[in-house]
Amino acid sequence: MTTPGIVARGVRRSFGNVHAVRDVSLEAREGAVTGLVGPNGSGKTTLLLMLASLLAPDAGEVRIGGVDPVADPAAARALLGWMPDSLGAWASLSARETIVTTGRLYDLDRRVAEDRAAQLLNEVGLADLGDAPARVLSRGQKQRLGLARALVHDPRVLLLDEPASGLDPQARIDLRQLLRRLAADGRTILISSHILSELEEVVDDAVFLVQGATVSSERVAEAATRTRTWRIRLADRDATASVLPVAQALGVDAALVPIDRRDILIGFASDADAAAGLAALIGAGLPVAEFSAATGLLEHTFLDLEGGAR
Amino acid sequence: MSLARLWTIARLELLQRVRTVSWYVLLGVFALLLIGATFLSFLSFGGQEQSGPGVYSTVVYITLLLVILVSPTLSGNSINGDRDAATLAPVQVTLATTGEILLGKFVAAWITGLAFALVAAPFLVIATLAGGGVHPATVAVSLLVLIAEIGVIAAIGVALSGILARPLFSVATTYLIVAALAVGTVIGFGLIGSSIVSEGKVSERSAVYGDNGPECKDGSTTCWDDPENIVCDEWVTYTQPVMRFDRVWWLLAANPFVILADATPTQLDRSGNPEDVFGYLKLGVRQTQIAPDLEYTWDECSQMAEERYPTPKEILAQTVPSWFVGLGVQLLLAAGLLVWAYARTRTPARSLPPGTRIA
Repeated sequence: MTTPGIVARGVRRSFGNVHAVRDVSLEAREGAVTGLVGPNGSGKTTLLLMLASLLAPDAGEVRIGGVDPVADPAAARALLGWMPDSLGAWASLSARETIVTTGRLYDLDRRVAEDRAAQLLNEVGLADLGDAPARVLSRGQKQRLGLARALVHDPRVLLLDEPASGLDPQARIDLRQLLRRLAADGRTILISSHILSELEEVVDDAVFLVQGATVSSERVAEAATRTRTWRIRLADRDATASVLPVAQALGVDAALVPIDRRDILIGFASDADAAAGLAALIGAGLPVAEFSAATGLLEHTFLDLEGGAR
Repeated sequence: MSLARLWTIARLELLQRVRTVSWYVLLGVFALLLIGATFLSFLSFGGQEQSGPGVYSTVVYITLLLVILVSPTLSGNSINGDRDAATLAPVQVTLATTGEILLGKFVAAWITGLAFALVAAPFLVIATLAGGGVHPATVAVSLLVLIAEIGVIAAIGVALSGILARPLFSVATTYLIVAALAVGTVIGFGLIGSSIVSEGKVSERSAVYGDNGPECKDGSTTCWDDPENIVCDEWVTYTQPVMRFDRVWWLLAANPFVILADATPTQLDRSGNPEDVFGYLKLGVRQTQIAPDLEYTWDECSQMAEERYPTPKEILAQTVPSWFVGLGVQLLLAAGLLVWAYARTRTPARSLPPGTRIA
């Protein structure tokens, strides 16, 4: 039985007359990575600040591992690790000192904090730069330092605001593996990102945030089942020459089939339709080299929801 | 309140300071200024029996002056500057409480100010050893007050950086408050004191003068040294305004330089004058406590009692010390501002200062 590591119910927060978060309800399971998806200004960072015990909600309630961060911030802080989107680093401290200092602020002994720093520097791939001052780190390296800092006290709940921004492809793969491993240990991970294709590969669940409110699961399911576009490429001819045979095999009007670089694009209403379409193409003897969804499911849902909100 | 976390925060601040080159440049410039000031003080007080007290008090005052000039820049952006650099929230999200963050930064700012006193220490030793005659009580009390004043300025700067959102604005406000104490009290004393005016009554009578000096009752011309025999004019009385600085002397009590002077025990030299700059300032401020004479009589026709001014010793004995009131006011001000900063910096934040974000 998995219990929710993060619960928010009816959370609301405004700054003056800017209603940053209007109505957010979400649950993030233990042992899973939950994605927080929403356009710029949808209230993701404000929501994470409330979950991180830095901002009090105007209404509604928040629980981090069962603890109310407004009533007992110290207990909530012991449980949670937070990585902010704007990453400030103490410019003249080295990465190692940064992690040790943060560990000391979490009441770790100096010795324990030093061991922990060495371990985390390895984990996030900063071992070589451990003693360089933070000001010489690149954006991606600072990002990794921020992650290490959030992990120093081995928190049960992780709140990561855009952790992948600025990371190179290898670092993203490392991050993905690290997050999967942390989740496998039974931690609750909530991660916000704009890079939906990245998110797609790491999240178990997704929460959609549009204009400060979470989108209901019915609405998400509806958006997810709407027509998606697929990319098709034939092995023996270019896209222009492929249009006619493909359109004939699928029984669609060739004049309505768009071309995108080497591929042609065909819409299918559901996965079943797509499977049937592929069978029809193979059946017609066409050499199908590529047959894939043009957008990930998250991206598809996101774009649909955002379009619907306007 | 965890002392370990508090010290971790203070250490973090200090570590960042000692790793900047500009910090050492600042201390170096300060040392150069002190070399010049000490040299000039030795020249200036060289005529005295022992130059130690004069040089010592001058160096202490210059240290206080420089700390007042520099400290607001060093402490006045410690909280809002961190917020701007996005390094405040990562500390707030740890187990460090708002009180620990505030006090940690205050301790760091205090130690930073004390570094200037430390640079001044060799010069104080030179003044004491080379000049000679510095009383141990003077050293002990003046250093304690100097340390306390540095702390007050550090606390005001840190508190304002938590209250106001913009670093530039909070540094400027810290300067204004410190200037209000150091300069504003003097301006207020001068302006208010000279606008509170009492009516002083002047009665005077002078001799009637002939060609050969005062006319005499017996007709002779040699009564100039015998007032009884002089022919006198009518009494003339008129009023003239008298400024009442004795009503506003307490304004000076909150002045850091006055506190330092007033608290330090004054040693008088053989002719009864103060030995050091502290003593002269203390004497000047204490003198303003004494109400001016509102009736003034000047009579040429009677043997006037010789006008007698009170000696420094008498002035000090008949007036009251005020340094503890002034220091108390400063401590209350600093503590009040810190409490306000606590309310502004507390997390989870309910309301944010306008124009700020948490992270």
